[in-house]
Amino acid sequence: MNRKTKTLAKVFQVIVAILATIFALYPVWFVILASGRPGARLLTLDLPSMFLPTTWSFENYQIMLFKQPFLTWVKNSLFVASMTTISCMLVATSAAFAFSRMRFYGRQIGLVLFLAIQSFPGVLSLVPIAQLLTAMGLYRNLWGLVMAYVSGTLVFTTMILKGYFDTIPIDLEEAAMIDGCGPVQSFVLIALPLARPALASTALFAFMGGWGEFVLASVLVPAPDTSKTAMVALYQIANSLSVPWGQFAAGAVLIIIPILIIFLYLQRYLEGGLTLGGVKG
Amino acid sequence: MAQVRGWRKVLTVLAFISPTLIGILIFSIYPILFNTYISFTNRNQFHPNPDCAVGLTGLLEPTCWAVFKKHAVTGLGTPFRLQTPLFGNYASLMGTFFTAPALLSVLKVAVCFIPLIVAGFINRRYSRELERPISAGTVNLIAVILGAIIFFGLSGLSAFNSILASSDFFTVFLRTILFVVVCIPLFFIFGMGLALLLNVKDLPGKTFFRVVLIVPWAASNVSIMMSLVFRFFFSETGTLNQLLHILNVQPVIFLNSSLWTFFIIVLANVWYSYPFFMVTILGALQSIPAELYEAAEVDGANWGQKLTRITMPLLRPAVVPLIVLSAIGAGGFQMFGTAWAINQGGPSQGAGVPGGTDLVMTYAYKQVFQTNAYGRMGAFAVIIFIMLFIATIASLRVSRVTKGAYE
Repeated sequence: MNRKTKTLAKVFQVIVAILATIFALYPVWFVILASGRPGARLLTLDLPSMFLPTTWSFENYQIMLFKQPFLTWVKNSLFVASMTTISCMLVATSAAFAFSRMRFYGRQIGLVLFLAIQSFPGVLSLVPIAQLLTAMGLYRNLWGLVMAYVSGTLVFTTMILKGYFDTIPIDLEEAAMIDGCGPVQSFVLIALPLARPALASTALFAFMGGWGEFVLASVLVPAPDTSKTAMVALYQIANSLSVPWGQFAAGAVLIIIPILIIFLYLQRYLEGGLTLGGVKG
Repeated sequence: MAQVRGWRKVLTVLAFISPTLIGILIFSIYPILFNTYISFTNRNQFHPNPDCAVGLTGLLEPTCWAVFKKHAVTGLGTPFRLQTPLFGNYASLMGTFFTAPALLSVLKVAVCFIPLIVAGFINRRYSRELERPISAGTVNLIAVILGAIIFFGLSGLSAFNSILASSDFFTVFLRTILFVVVCIPLFFIFGMGLALLLNVKDLPGKTFFRVVLIVPWAASNVSIMMSLVFRFFFSETGTLNQLLHILNVQPVIFLNSSLWTFFIIVLANVWYSYPFFMVTILGALQSIPAELYEAAEVDGANWGQKLTRITMPLLRPAVVPLIVLSAIGAGGFQMFGTAWAINQGGPSQGAGVPGGTDLVMTYAYKQVFQTNAYGRMGAFAVIIFIMLFIATIASLRVSRVTKGAYE
């Protein structure tokens, strides 16, 4: 390859990278732009204001934060997501440890069945779950939602953690056992501290799952306004004709930006967790 | 856990896994059993109430249990019972599929795939040989042409349409398959292309691009929000139409056209999913030893040959599970949120008919929450579950996630 073709190739690569960047960023940029435009002006746009913030006001943000119960919705979402994470970690780590370290009858087939049963789509189990929660008096209650989420992420979490436990050398625990360490001790004192990176990334996955989930939340907690999660509330705002779309955009920005920052900041961690978890080939 | 034996071992194992087991029993296995039972009953908006005296209803319906009796809600209408014939819901879902003309159409369409299968066999037969009488690409090309000839010879299009017309189920099901078939190659092309780009050693601003290009993945955690953004972008008063207005073009009502809506859903879905492919493929690319490429360069291989002879085969173990898992996951066959947020399965094609872009999950959701056809939906769920169950078991063989520390 001579120098000219090399330069051409480089220019081509950079152009493709920039186009891909526009494709990746424009939707997010677009919603940020829309959030800065007060209601009526959304529909009368000129060309530059479609790409650049020519006019900017915080009116939509003010309405979302102070006139709408937006903070309550965020609080509900936070509550659901963090409760889901905590309960999920409490339940799943021990099962993951057992599946990785103990040999018992039906272990392999149990794992396969877990995964296969999990393939029953969430949308199709909405009716039985809603009925069950109604019977338990947990319909329209955030705790019911937490229960549904925990069971939904349980298998995935168990799988990832089990994959990580598999990569921890078993020699440590065997040595501890010779010194008279029981299974519970070797789990709590040896395996758990070693699995800290995997625990962190699984917790993040569980948290983000609970934070962004929509279908179950919209069916199990559709009302009242004060106990909706942010996703459900914003979806209803976006679909109502009386509320300007800019307000939805402001709410969406307030939801999306923190998640983007957290995700990008911890991204390497998340990737590591996923690949270590044996989802890789 | 070598030293724990007998009943103590049983107790230890149970103590470790029982919380998970109970969770799965209540929220995964119970819904499956319940759905299966409901699929044999005539439960719908006219018969919504359980009749606790019937044995299985009393057993499976939570409001019939003594503990929860106080929360029982009774709507209007009569109790539901088992259907006569028992498989009525399944029969109504299948429509006219199991009649002679429809089955003949299935046969006609199936025949078109025979050349492709034969081509696959031929290629596998010669895959290990250096001197091939005919290249794999030529064999595939001939197979595709033969398949197309057979397709038009047997008037395959009308046969296909008659399968679609045989019942709503097949309309929705085949559309979902089409959705997966369109989406997965796009995921792969975008992911692979950008991964190759980011793998270029001296790309300026590499770290920046690497971070920016995974923004959609981060945003997919709140996918419902971003899908609404996509909908607004394409809606009647949305951004694209305003752009067209500025250019003095008549506005297009994108969401009233099935084709456009399908395209928008695919676009949004690709936007969410390519970063995961990109990141995984990039990881796999970086694990390919550089010596292989150096050796190939010594032998005079060009860029294309290196890509097809070294990179692609070595990426295979990482990419195949990825493709399989996405195909049966929420970005593929089980797509719900994005499709729902963008057009709720619409545009409507008339009452009682699936909408223009209804996929399996949106159709099921509508059946339950708009027409209250619980029994029919149960049958639908059971059929879909059987398919996904088989697909998952098959995918486990590919991804090998169930091996323990000892294997």
